[in-house]
Amino acid sequence: MLEALLQGLVLVLQWKALAFMLLGILLGFWVGLLPGLGGATTLALMLPFIYTMQPVEAFAFLLGMHSVTATTGDITSVLFGVPGEAASAATVLDGYAMAKKGEAGRALGAALASSLVGALVGAVALALAIPVVRPLVLTFGSPELFMLALVGIAFIAALSSPGGRGMLRGFLAGALGLFLGTIGQDPQAGVARYALGTLYLWQGLDLVPVLVGLFAIPEIIDLVVRGTSIAGAAPAGQLSRGALEGVKDTFRHFWLTIRCSLIGTFIGILPGMGGAVAQWMAYGHATQSARTAEERRGFGQGDVRGVLGPGAANNSKEGGALIPTIAFGVPGSTAMAILLGGFYLLGLVPGPDMLSKHLAVTFSMVWTIVIANVITVIACFALLNKLAQLTTVRGSLLIPVILVLVFIGSYTSNNHYGDLVLTLVFGAVGYLMVLSGWPRAPLVLGLVVGKIAENNLYISIARYEAAWLTRPVVLVLIAITVGVIVYPLVQARRRAATARA
Amino acid sequence: MIVSGYGIVAATAWPWKAALFPLVIGVPLFALAAAEALWTLFGGNATSDEARDFQLSTGEDALRRTLGAAGWICAFFAAIVLLGFPIAVPLFVFLYLKLQGREGWGISIAITLGTWAVFYGLFDLLLHLPFPEGWLVAWLSFS
Repeated sequence: MLEALLQGLVLVLQWKALAFMLLGILLGFWVGLLPGLGGATTLALMLPFIYTMQPVEAFAFLLGMHSVTATTGDITSVLFGVPGEAASAATVLDGYAMAKKGEAGRALGAALASSLVGALVGAVALALAIPVVRPLVLTFGSPELFMLALVGIAFIAALSSPGGRGMLRGFLAGALGLFLGTIGQDPQAGVARYALGTLYLWQGLDLVPVLVGLFAIPEIIDLVVRGTSIAGAAPAGQLSRGALEGVKDTFRHFWLTIRCSLIGTFIGILPGMGGAVAQWMAYGHATQSARTAEERRGFGQGDVRGVLGPGAANNSKEGGALIPTIAFGVPGSTAMAILLGGFYLLGLVPGPDMLSKHLAVTFSMVWTIVIANVITVIACFALLNKLAQLTTVRGSLLIPVILVLVFIGSYTSNNHYGDLVLTLVFGAVGYLMVLSGWPRAPLVLGLVVGKIAENNLYISIARYEAAWLTRPVVLVLIAITVGVIVYPLVQARRRAATARA
Repeated sequence: MIVSGYGIVAATAWPWKAALFPLVIGVPLFALAAAEALWTLFGGNATSDEARDFQLSTGEDALRRTLGAAGWICAFFAAIVLLGFPIAVPLFVFLYLKLQGREGWGISIAITLGTWAVFYGLFDLLLHLPFPEGWLVAWLSFS
C-alpha cells in the first residue's frame, strides 16, 4: 500500500501530469470566482479534452480543477456577499459580515487556511478509507439518509436564532425550504407539482439563482443604502494584517476545523448529499460550539468560526465524495457523476480494480487533491491583501459590476430568463427575511436537502413501511434530533431560572 | 399559511407517490405557520428572538435609497429581457456609474468597457454561452 502511495505521488509529479494539473487549477480558480459557473459545469465542459490523455494526467487536470473551485468560491462570498458556488453560500453569513467590519483579509485567511486543512483531512480520509469504506457506506440506507437530512435541518433551525420564537421561525424556514424543494416534476409519479403552468418550474428550483438572490440581492441593496465601500469606515490597517490572523484563527480553533472537516468528509461519502449540505451542516456545528447565548448571537455578525467550519467542510467533502465513486462507481454528487464519465472515457472501471490493479492511479487522485489545494492556497495568499483591498473600493463603482456578475451567474445556470425571475423573487424573499429577523440558513438547507429527503423517505416507506423507524441508526438520529431541539430550550430555561435567583 | 394551505389542497389531487412528501412537509409547515401567526397576534414581537445573520443599515433616507436600489435592479432585468445581455450589460453599467454613482466620464467609460470586454471575451467568445437577443431587438429586426 505504501509503495502504491509513493508511486501515486511520482505519477502526479511527472511534468505532463503536473502541467495539466496547473492548467486545471488555473481554470478552477476563475470558475470558482464567477458566480453561477459551477465546478460541475466546467468538469462537463472539459471532459471532451481528456480523450488523448493518460489516466493520471486526466485526473490531475479534472480533479485539480474541481478541487480548487470550492476554495476560490469562498472569495466572492467573503468579499461581496455573492456566493461563487452553491457550496459557498454558508461562508457569506459570517465572512461578509467580517468584510463589512474591515476584516476581509482575516476572513479570507481563515477561509483559505481552513480549506487547506479540510482538503488534507479529506485526502487522508480517502487514503485511509479505501480498505474500510464498504461497511460504512452500507450502514447508511435510505431511512438513515432521510433522518440525516432532518438532523441537519434541526441543527440549523435550532441554532440560527435565539429563544423559543427564534427556534419556531428556524423550523418554519426549514420546513418552507423542504416544501419549496418539492416544486417540479416528482421523481416517482412524474406529476408536475406547483409548476404554476410553466415549463421552467418542471425541473424544480435551481439552487444557484435562489442562493444568489437570497444572499446577494439584500447585500447589494444594503450597499446602496449605506453609500460607502463594503468595509465602510473600518480602520484601513486591519485589511492588510488580517490574513495571517485568519490563519492563526484556524489553529486557535483547530479542533473545530478538524471536526467540520470530518463532517464534510462524511457528508461527501454519502451518495447524493453534496457540498452545499456539508457546508451548512458544518456551519450548524460551528454555531453549536458557542458556549454562551451571547457568543451564539455573534454568529452571523462576523464570528470567524462561522467561516472556518464551512470552509473546512467545503473542501474535505471532495476526498469523501471520491470514496464511493472510486470504490463502487456510485457518485456522491453531480460533479462526481461527471468524473465517473471520465473513468469510462479513459477505459477505467470503478470498483475493486481501482483498489488493486490501479491503486497507484487511485492514490494519484489523493495526491492531486493535496497538491492542487496547497498550490491554490499559496497563490491566493499572494493575492490576498490585494483582494481584501477591493472591500475599500467605493460601492458606486462595485455595485454595477457585482450586479452584472449576479445576473450572468444566475442566467448561466439554465440559460433561461426564468433564472433571472427566480433571482429577483428570492432576492425579495431574502430582503424581507432579513428585514423581519428571520434566519435564511434553514430555508437554504431545507431546499438543498429537499429532493434527497423526499427520495429517501419514499424508498424507506416503499421498502420497509413503518419499520424503517425502528432501525438502530435511525433511532440514534431521532434521539439526536430531539436532543438538538430540546437542549437549547432547557439551557434557556436554566439561564432564566439562574437570572431570577 | 397561504402557501402551505395551497400546497396541501393541491397535493390531495395527486397520486400518493407524488403527494407523500408535500403532505408530510405541508401539514407541519401549516401548523408552524399558524403558531407563528398566533404568536405575532397575541405574544408580541420580541426583537431578542430575531435572527441576526445580517443587519440592514438604517438612516434618514434608507427607504428612498432601498427603493432606488430595487428600481435599478428591476431596470437591469427589464433591459436584459428587452435588449439582451450584450446591449444591457454596458448600458446598465454606464448609466449606473453616471446617474447613480455620479462618476466622471473617464472612469465610467473605462469600467463599462472593462466589464463588457470580460463579458464578451469570457462568456461569449471563450465559453460560447447562448445569450439570446432581447425581445425588443428581435421585434425590431423582424419588422
